[in-house]
Amino acid sequence: MRSRSGRIFALVVLAGGCGGAPPPESATEVVAVRRPTLAGDPAAADWAALPTHRAALLLQDVVEPRLLAPSTPEVRVKAMTDGARLAFRLEWSDATTNDLPDTGRFSDACAVQLPATTAPDVPAPQMGEAGRPVEIAYWRASWQAVVDGRPDAITAIHPGAAVDHYPFEAASLPPGSPEQQAMAKRYAPARALGNPMAGPRAKPVEDLVSEGPSTLRPAGETRSDGRGVRTAGGWAVVVVRPMPAAVGSDARTQVAFAVWDGERREVGARKMRTGWVPLLVEGPR
Amino acid sequence: MGRVRNWQIGREMSYWYPEARPRRQFAAVFDTNKCISCQTCTVACKTTWTSGKGQEYMLWNNVETKPYGFYPMAWDLKLLERLGPQTWADGVYEGRTLFEAAEAGERVLGWRPEAIDYAHPNVGEDDCAGGAVERGAEYAVPHDRWFFYLARICNHCTYPACLASCPRASIYKRPEDGIVLIDQERCRGYQECVKACPYKKVFYNPMTGTSEKCIACFPKFEQGLQPQCFVNCIGKIRFAGHVSTPEHAREDNPIDWLVHVKKVALPLYPQWGLEPNVYYVPPIHVPRRFLRQMFGPGVDAAIETYRGAADDPDLAALFCLFGATERVVPRWKRTGDVVIGLEEDGTEIVRVPVREPVFIRRAFDAARQVVRTNTP
Repeated sequence: MRSRSGRIFALVVLAGGCGGAPPPESATEVVAVRRPTLAGDPAAADWAALPTHRAALLLQDVVEPRLLAPSTPEVRVKAMTDGARLAFRLEWSDATTNDLPDTGRFSDACAVQLPATTAPDVPAPQMGEAGRPVEIAYWRASWQAVVDGRPDAITAIHPGAAVDHYPFEAASLPPGSPEQQAMAKRYAPARALGNPMAGPRAKPVEDLVSEGPSTLRPAGETRSDGRGVRTAGGWAVVVVRPMPAAVGSDARTQVAFAVWDGERREVGARKMRTGWVPLLVEGPR
Repeated sequence: MGRVRNWQIGREMSYWYPEARPRRQFAAVFDTNKCISCQTCTVACKTTWTSGKGQEYMLWNNVETKPYGFYPMAWDLKLLERLGPQTWADGVYEGRTLFEAAEAGERVLGWRPEAIDYAHPNVGEDDCAGGAVERGAEYAVPHDRWFFYLARICNHCTYPACLASCPRASIYKRPEDGIVLIDQERCRGYQECVKACPYKKVFYNPMTGTSEKCIACFPKFEQGLQPQCFVNCIGKIRFAGHVSTPEHAREDNPIDWLVHVKKVALPLYPQWGLEPNVYYVPPIHVPRRFLRQMFGPGVDAAIETYRGAADDPDLAALFCLFGATERVVPRWKRTGDVVIGLEEDGTEIVRVPVREPVFIRRAFDAARQVVRTNTP
């Protein structure tokens, strides 16, 4: 199988390779190229030579709430593996940066989805199926901004906001003390309940599991990581996730992608997405 | 999509889920005629529940000056405009509910507020307007001067639009009391509920990334106590309890009696189809066309009944139980000039004279040789 994939590259490279070495393309599948170390930086030179798969994005118009107006047309995907992890580099066009959360305001985001097990009979690409879960690594621009240093304060969202007092910042509570931290948590219900949405946030990526629409849930622990940066005309995001349990070297599985454009208020099920795309995970050479 | 019975519009309607009424339904009656917009309810709620980061702008309870006060801006006008003119006939709503008017790809007809919409919680507060701008009015309007105060909390609807709209089923209606809550562990902050709730009583918290809403002070309500905004109400306009469906209405249940027997308290925008469970005694001085749009076709009869309270000993009596106790009063009775609030088992909670005795003090206190001054 590997050699067949290699032939496809070769043809594409030959077809387009005579006038200034454009990056190779992989028309039919995403190939995770074997590398000794993974490039976590979307701007790293290691990515340049890898084949690009252009995945056309489709409207999520299967379940409510649906997206009825097409937005981002495609995502350009590269991938590499070190045998233990998979790194995906997603790049797409997006004229505006949307990384501030607020009422009526939504973040740019992307996701990489793999079936939890490799089997010929893959689960539905639309968030998996009951008893046949999919694993999702979800990156969000607003989380990236926090990881990059945006303060955990309302003034980071509304610079003109004036706050008289938070009870958990009373003078009687030493800042950072266990008592103060415990009280602050009580005033953030989602955080008190351990909802990963509520932070504190050390990574811009969250691992999720789903068994069909509306069943999305956090994985027990986020083992993936990532980094997203603005490009001249959009986003480039690297998502690094552990190798799925049943995927070995030179193995094939499936992968799917989704992109949200915050400017168009895309969130949740309102997204552009792909169906399953074949994924070849290269073994050691 | 299910077919459910909505008694407030007198017919069946479409809803995202099948009918599943709670065993008991939290409900409230607000007498708009008594509200002075002191915002004590707002402050009571604010200090109890929304002092955290990301909650700065949230008012789970607010009081707005109608017709031009809004929170968020134009919350009801925007939706009325989107829904378009609709009609009632003989107490039956012939128009489309928000569920029936949902656009393609949506579960509910709604609109998305933005942060700026919350920046002016009560535009036109206490402003009579009416063409006297040159003498200080904020703006002029081409109609007679009138306003009234509309106190608002979550309506803990029988058919909540927030619940229907949540693609993750993160919102639930408690079977024991019908209180509608957002599971803060499950919510992922998609804001579909913020868009769908026509009363705009779900708020997005940008610091936790989840949406939050009025919880009817359920830790109190579970102990038989009325919520904070009720017990702190200076004007004693509020009364919390449970409401039944009309066929199961009990005359000794204060809310049932006001809503189903006397029909003096009406739901807010019943035509939207959510079967909201805060019932308003409509203001007596406001143009009826406006009130019919806001409270439905029962407005005229409700106002006539309310105006007759002075000659209706029971009605006058029951309003005296408003604000008389922190406890939820599930039953009531009147004995002569005294109204008595009772527990379900008949245990007395509170008794209130229907008319307070009048004491007349002489201005000059002969014993102390001073003249008393009344300080309002």
